[in-house]
Amino acid sequence: MAPESLLATTPIEQLAPYLGSNHLPYGVPIHPNLVHFTIGLFVIAITFDVAAALYPLERRVFRFLALPVTRAGLHDVGWYNLLACAVVSFFTVAAGFFEMLLADPLPGVQSALGLGSATTMVWHGVGGVLLLLVIVLMTVWRGYQRFVWRREMGRQVQWLYLLIGLALFPIFGLHGTLGAELAAEFGVHIRADQLLAAGADLREALP
Amino acid sequence: MQGLLPPLNDHNLPWMDTIHPIVVHFVIAMAVISVLFDVAGVVLRKPNLFEVSFWNLLVATVAIFVAIIFGQVEAGLAQPYGGASEILNLHSTLGWSLAGVLAVLSGWRYVVRGRDPRQLPLPFLAAGGVLLVLVTIQVALGNQLIWTYGLHTVPVVEATREGLV
Repeated sequence: MAPESLLATTPIEQLAPYLGSNHLPYGVPIHPNLVHFTIGLFVIAITFDVAAALYPLERRVFRFLALPVTRAGLHDVGWYNLLACAVVSFFTVAAGFFEMLLADPLPGVQSALGLGSATTMVWHGVGGVLLLLVIVLMTVWRGYQRFVWRREMGRQVQWLYLLIGLALFPIFGLHGTLGAELAAEFGVHIRADQLLAAGADLREALP
Repeated sequence: MQGLLPPLNDHNLPWMDTIHPIVVHFVIAMAVISVLFDVAGVVLRKPNLFEVSFWNLLVATVAIFVAIIFGQVEAGLAQPYGGASEILNLHSTLGWSLAGVLAVLSGWRYVVRGRDPRQLPLPFLAAGGVLLVLVTIQVALGNQLIWTYGLHTVPVVEATREGLV
């Protein structure tokens, strides 16, 4: 618990005693490590459903490669990866919000996209929640197609589902770019960047 | 080599931002989920999860070579300082080793799956455990390079160019 004298101060000052030079109470940020799973699982889920939908065209290629494949197997990847994506992404967003509360972006910086730190954080924060909603809706939609509407069909997904899934790739890319800029340009939670901004000599501070 | 690349920007990169950390999404997520789905397949007696694992393992194996190509270029431009040099060496060595490990696991899995796609030998599950450990160590090393030493971040590149690091 924070000492009582701290309660009259700003939130970041109340937390300051618990934070290291990277402005986190632990060594490296958690959110960027969970992001690997959110993006990787989503992209591969959609990719394998596309591959399954186009299966009649690819059958000969797989036979040529001596790689036994079933359409249902490819769709299984599309479904289970998306399900795992939906589960892990709640933690991705939760960790992201916790670490954004503690963020201390460097002042006077403009990103490669021409945005300041507050604008970048608002887009990345609000956009992240919206993308979580989209992932959950896509998972529910994918589930209905698999278990109800297209249960008996070889192609388990509608073309519209695949189109929306593919259209989300560049949106994920843009969203990820905003997050990458918060780190590599605004120096959020990067020990070396924060130490440099505080005037430290890295030769001594980070030997 | 640098003659082949566009001029370097304020990240000391010939392209907008580091590409290696994007490609590794598909190594980390697919390798880890492959092991987890194998465990789930055994525990829940759901053999169609083994098929999901197989394809994820294959994606991870292809992706790691792409990750290494970008990793080598970006490591060559990283200007590591202090302890970062040693960590970058370890990260590179373990990266190449993981490419070998993933390739062997993929080959082994192809044979296993060819014999009976609904059975998974327990030694393969154990090998998955080893893979999980190696990936975790590799991720921890990569985390140090960016989150501690800030390689390829604008402030560190700037300080390095000014000779302050």
